[in-house]
Amino acid sequence: MKKKDLHVILFLILAAAVLLKGTHIRSVEEYYRTHIDDITPESETVFISIRCNTVLNNRDKLNPALQSDEFVPPDGVILQKSEYVLREGDTAFDMLERAVRANRIQMEYQGGNLNVYNSVYVQGINYLYEFSCGPLSGWMYLVNGVFPNYGSSKYTLCDGDTVEWVYTCDLGCDVGCEWMEGG
Amino acid sequence: MRAFESVHPAAAFAYFISVLLVAMFTAHPVLLCEALLGAVLFCAILSAKGFWKNMASYVPLFAIIALSNPLFSHNGVTMLFFLNGNPVTLEAVLYGADIAVMLIAVIYWFQCYSFVMTSDKFLYLFGKAIPKLSLVLSMALRFIPLFKAQLIRVNRAQKAMGLYSGKSFTDKLRSAGRVLLALITWSLENAVETGDSMRARGYGLHGRSHFALFRFTGRDGVLLGISAALTGLTLTGRALGGADFAFYPRITGISTAPLSLAVYLAFGALTLLPFIIETEESLKWTYFVSKI
Repeated sequence: MKKKDLHVILFLILAAAVLLKGTHIRSVEEYYRTHIDDITPESETVFISIRCNTVLNNRDKLNPALQSDEFVPPDGVILQKSEYVLREGDTAFDMLERAVRANRIQMEYQGGNLNVYNSVYVQGINYLYEFSCGPLSGWMYLVNGVFPNYGSSKYTLCDGDTVEWVYTCDLGCDVGCEWMEGG
Repeated sequence: MRAFESVHPAAAFAYFISVLLVAMFTAHPVLLCEALLGAVLFCAILSAKGFWKNMASYVPLFAIIALSNPLFSHNGVTMLFFLNGNPVTLEAVLYGADIAVMLIAVIYWFQCYSFVMTSDKFLYLFGKAIPKLSLVLSMALRFIPLFKAQLIRVNRAQKAMGLYSGKSFTDKLRSAGRVLLALITWSLENAVETGDSMRARGYGLHGRSHFALFRFTGRDGVLLGISAALTGLTLTGRALGGADFAFYPRITGISTAPLSLAVYLAFGALTLLPFIIETEESLKWTYFVSKI
């Protein structure tokens, strides 16, 4: 009788150990202490910016809890256009993640393994989430002024690309994206 | 017999529905704490026996809900630490605790409901208007208490037969699994049998009447009026923004504006109503007994 219990306890300890091995806990300071590659003359770079100007025209639709300059900057610019070193094989999402981490901007995303598109979905940046400003709102991205019609973690960037992350309140119509209308 | 059990079914039903309607559709911590307090006090009076043991079983439920929310929700400005690259925030933990309070409060209210609104009362209210649905509902609401009673019975029978009576933890678990299996078969069979039995007795046939000893007295009218007024006050106050509260991205403070205070007071009075009635009745009883 006792032996059986012992087996169960051992199994539970093993399961807990596996679970703990899989979790990686870091303090906030540790997480944000990332190294950003220095820009050298021979390094490949891209430009990235994050804007939410459309919210400024739709203040009435914005979630009341977000009605503050802290979450929606008065000029609508969350991250000024800035230059970052492009690493081999970096996607638009990798660049965004590195940029927000370097600037301590909050960002939440759904991992690529969790949806049918096999691509990361950016749910919110700087506490501004999908549906925070009306039912048609969310984050979209442009590369060199064009909206690529696929997920940000599937778009591999090239040297000199300009990535813009923009918040739409109207399924892309208010940020100049045409193809969403047909869908 | 408790005082609230002698209230007319219509008044009692209206009371429970209005409390549950407010409690289930708000996330305001003050209102939810009031709902929990009222339900716990009411439940303590209705089921004095086994109340504390019952309460202890809700602690793990509370912990599970409160701690699982931050694993799925990463919104919130106060980051505590990062778990696998995702922030665990204070706001998410508090929101989880808030939802846990809501769930437990609602569970307690339904416990009180099943004590007070026995199936005969429910059938009295809705048996004529919606005979099929009211039968299904009253059977469904009766199911959990029935399941529990049968669980104890099966357990005892198994113990008496000497099955898995060892002290080993594993054996206990296995015996619980066996009991559960027996219970599920029993409940399926029971449902069919109940249906057959009801049909055999002519339930829901046209032209049948039934007798019930419920009379709508002035006291019931007063209770109905008070609960309707308090619910109306709470709902209007809420519609006017008196109970606005946001957890994400930053917790808004608990408002102390007059409108909010009125909402808290109205809903607090509404949830404490049964407790007040019961206390009043028991005080009266002790007073009369002391005179004998």
